[in-house]
Amino acid sequence: MTSSAVSPLEQDIATLIVQTLKLKVDPATIQPGAALFGDGLGLDSIDALELSLAISQVYGYQLKSSDPEIKAIFSSLRALAKAIEKNRTK
Amino acid sequence: MHDTPLIGPYNPDDMLAWQQGRPRTARQFLADVSCLMELLPDRPTVLNLATDRYEFLVGFAAAILRRQVTLLPQSRASQTLRRVAAGYPDSYGLTDRGNPIEGIESVPIQSGRGGNPWPREIPRVLLNQVVAIAFTSGSTGRPIPNKKTWGALTAVAHATGSRLGIKGGDRTAVVATVPHQHMFGLEASVMLPIMHGLVMHAGRPHFPADIRSTLDDVTGHWILVTTPLHLHACVTEGVSVPLGGLILSATAPLSRSLAQEAERQFRTEVHEIFGFAEAGSVAERRTVNGDQWQPLDGVRVVQDQSSCLVYAEYLPDPVHVPDRITVDARGTFIVHGREADQVNIAGHRVSLGDLNQKLLAIDGVQDGVFYLPEEESDLVTRLMAFVVAPGKTSEDIQRALRMHIDPVFLPRPLVCVPSLPRNATGKLPRESMNELAREWLEKQDHGA
Repeated sequence: MTSSAVSPLEQDIATLIVQTLKLKVDPATIQPGAALFGDGLGLDSIDALELSLAISQVYGYQLKSSDPEIKAIFSSLRALAKAIEKNRTK
Repeated sequence: MHDTPLIGPYNPDDMLAWQQGRPRTARQFLADVSCLMELLPDRPTVLNLATDRYEFLVGFAAAILRRQVTLLPQSRASQTLRRVAAGYPDSYGLTDRGNPIEGIESVPIQSGRGGNPWPREIPRVLLNQVVAIAFTSGSTGRPIPNKKTWGALTAVAHATGSRLGIKGGDRTAVVATVPHQHMFGLEASVMLPIMHGLVMHAGRPHFPADIRSTLDDVTGHWILVTTPLHLHACVTEGVSVPLGGLILSATAPLSRSLAQEAERQFRTEVHEIFGFAEAGSVAERRTVNGDQWQPLDGVRVVQDQSSCLVYAEYLPDPVHVPDRITVDARGTFIVHGREADQVNIAGHRVSLGDLNQKLLAIDGVQDGVFYLPEEESDLVTRLMAFVVAPGKTSEDIQRALRMHIDPVFLPRPLVCVPSLPRNATGKLPRESMNELAREWLEKQDHGA
């Protein structure tokens, strides 16, 4: 991995994920480059829906599954943080 | 009447579907079906995994006219597909272009090409022809097949339409957030529109912003076929939708307060369907009007001492209801909850016995059990699992489980323990499991 340092935004989003989905993991243990869905954190489409609400409320960014980048956006904490950084309105 | 037309009241140039911003007329649809029929291999059964609802329909119809049965697996998890395919070794797959199924011979669905003329007669299908098999989970770890005849699917579509007051040919668009391979999705988002001459939207919006833009996309009246989860998301997000709609929810009980909020915010009626894969849609209610379910026309729900059964002309045998319900003198009923061994997460139903079998089959697992925590107020309650597997980590076991069960049932968390609190007869009393779960959760809250 090239850069494993976790940015403050990534830290905040990791906490948001853990709180929203009531995961029993320490947010600090979520690797920014690791998969959120499937093999990594094991999230599914129900989580994506819940997470999209939290992201919309906190950052004012509305996710769309019609976005061609949607798979990439949800691929890791780092990718999600980048998309939020770019699209946030609050 | 032994057979009925493949589609309902459409004129050749009426829009039958809306696919990626383009209309698909009834004429185009029949041409697409007839083109695909020529390409299908000569096999008895097919796994139709198309993600696009129009392409799914083209594949479904072509298979029906070739007298092939469409298999509807519970999930797209690779092991589930392989297990279903293993039970039907002559199966092949139908998929979107460029999205083959690993290990299963697949034919890509092609649509929007043919320019065939309108046939002299709409193709007809025998009412007793088995057109689909929906799989449910038994307690043995093997999927149980439930055969669906053309007669059953069309009867449910007509009964649902008449209950909801749907008028044929008014170009209402049906938009769905549920997968069409799910029994409710097949009935409400595919069969309902094509039997009534409505416009089927080919997409599957998931996030609130998608649902809003999809409903903006259609002209005129709309029906949103959805779930309590999606409705909750839209209400929370404050989504605004065009006037002239109707919402049809299923897969999990909708709370009256959420239904009230949705009716107010979307200025529309919210109706619910009660059903399950073995029988299909059984009853309907407008949630704000009360808890009573009204069986669809032609359906009777009968209670005896030990269980409840669904009767309908199109069901060869009465079907056992997998919920605890009370039927009153008028034949309407109230649902109290799932039977003890059954869990339902986001419309996926499974027996805990089945999950336990799969857990115990994992290499290195000596003992283990899935546990459904006490109901919280949340829309989704996730399972927990307690496992005795010396030398293995919970990640190891999760990874192995992921190969065998739908992701929605993966335990959160999976806890490795030295032993399970089995009693003298080897059983795991519910109270002991509650205690174990409570202890673990308390330890987490204090420790972590």
